[in-house]
Amino acid sequence: MYCVQTRQLSHNFSAQAAVLQTINLQVPKGSIYGFLGPNGAGKTTTLRLLLGLLKQQQGEILIFGKALEQNRVAILKQVGSLIESPSLYGHLTATENMLLWQKIYQCPKERIAAVLHLVGLADTGNKKAGQFSLGMKQRLSIAVALLHNPELLVLDEPTNGLDPNGMIEIRSLLLQLNQEQGITILLSSHLLAEIEKLVSHVGVINKGQMMFQGTLDDLKSKQQEALSIVFETNNTMQTLQIIRDNDLLPQVADGKVIIPAVSKNITAKIIQQLVNNGIEVYEAGIIKNDLESIFMELINN
Amino acid sequence: MIISFIHSFQSEWLKKKRSLSSWLVIVGGFFTPIIIIIARLVHYKQLPALYAKEGFWNQLWQSSWESMAIFLLPVGVILATSLITQLEYKNNTWKQLHTAPLSFTSIFFSKLLVIVIMVVQFFILFNIGIYLSALIPYLLVKGVPYPAAQLPFAAVLKEDGYYFMDCLPIVALQYLLSLKYKNFLVPVGIGFGLWIASLGALSWKFGYLIPYAYCMLNFLKNQTNGRAAIPAINIHVMAVGYFILISIVGYIMYLTKKEKG
Repeated sequence: MYCVQTRQLSHNFSAQAAVLQTINLQVPKGSIYGFLGPNGAGKTTTLRLLLGLLKQQQGEILIFGKALEQNRVAILKQVGSLIESPSLYGHLTATENMLLWQKIYQCPKERIAAVLHLVGLADTGNKKAGQFSLGMKQRLSIAVALLHNPELLVLDEPTNGLDPNGMIEIRSLLLQLNQEQGITILLSSHLLAEIEKLVSHVGVINKGQMMFQGTLDDLKSKQQEALSIVFETNNTMQTLQIIRDNDLLPQVADGKVIIPAVSKNITAKIIQQLVNNGIEVYEAGIIKNDLESIFMELINN
Repeated sequence: MIISFIHSFQSEWLKKKRSLSSWLVIVGGFFTPIIIIIARLVHYKQLPALYAKEGFWNQLWQSSWESMAIFLLPVGVILATSLITQLEYKNNTWKQLHTAPLSFTSIFFSKLLVIVIMVVQFFILFNIGIYLSALIPYLLVKGVPYPAAQLPFAAVLKEDGYYFMDCLPIVALQYLLSLKYKNFLVPVGIGFGLWIASLGALSWKFGYLIPYAYCMLNFLKNQTNGRAAIPAINIHVMAVGYFILISIVGYIMYLTKKEKG
């Protein structure tokens, strides 16, 4: 079952090009879904639509299997969110900020101390939120999102503005919430490396279109598919011809010949043919594309 | 729905703690009374005669309301109302508020109710201030008697009620404008413009049509010097009518806003 699902979701801010085009997002229950894409790809617009901050134009949004338009309030009771920069009342303390959301969510007051402790802000005392560092503000915003023990967390670039330690802390906190409490987490980022160790599922969006959606393992198998073999010889033209004779499609880059990954036997056969034809082979090796390259390839397509 | 409205109101009420708008209510409520106290202490020799007068309370009421009705109340309402919505813009919190499990109706009316209650709070403080402006000189200056005239409670409450109704159109229009425009200067600028227009149009026979004019007209209604053209209609009913109408328009505009944060 999907915790969040969109069907043919499209959106445009003006009569010009659509910001989102027929997005079919599928976030499985209990997953950590990384929503990836470069800046301006449509991530925030999608998340704002999911939270009802933008009026739906085309398509359908289902959260917990219910249509958002008809069940907005009931759905939002189970959703915690952080969209873009922190949303805090700067003239109030951390506890006062939490208290005003506690009034709305009507959760036990004890939750305030518990979530402030969880994000490491239990000892901020009378310090106003406006005087917090960006990292502290971000953590307080996450505390607000967690206050009512939501089933779904929607976080837009939650590690923005955090130092490396802060990023690690937030990542382990999210992992803990997902594993111990079963909270489904949908988080966006423009960096795959940042969430690679955290997510179970990935969606890649670019220019308003979904380029990939699946498990992280699916993405990794794409990485496997993307392996190539490189040959560096003293005669590029003849090397190309020999490879073509083996029914392969070689490409040339930086004077080297590159082919899609083939079995070890075929690789050995090609090397032997090259040597037999008097060609000097300087290098024959595998190029491993990392996930980041796959991601770049997806968004550059 | 009602329960959710109450929760929303409680939350909104907490937000104004230590905010500029809540300070404005306190400062605005006591500003004129403090000026009166200082003026009376400076001219302390005239106090025994003044406090013995039959029309003591009426005179104090008039002098307290003069600057309030013409200047401080309209300007204070313009600023306080705009500051309440500015809290959300300034802190970038509209988006968080709109992802809370509250209906947009609850959010709109709970904010409006907070502003209206702040106006009531201001009236209470101002009335306390007026009473203190009579009491403090009596306590501090030797030989000044307690005012001989009886405190006209009923008349005070009636006039408070009128002024309250008369400032409601300003509340509604400023609320509408401040929900519409993110930039604080826009609603405040339009509000000031309308207030000045109301001042300039006081003697015009259709001046009462400007929704910001009613506090001034209420203050000037008994003056026969022609400073204001007092209409034959009930301005308080008109003010409440404006308040309801503008609030409905503001509510529809808020509800149909395409982007909510």
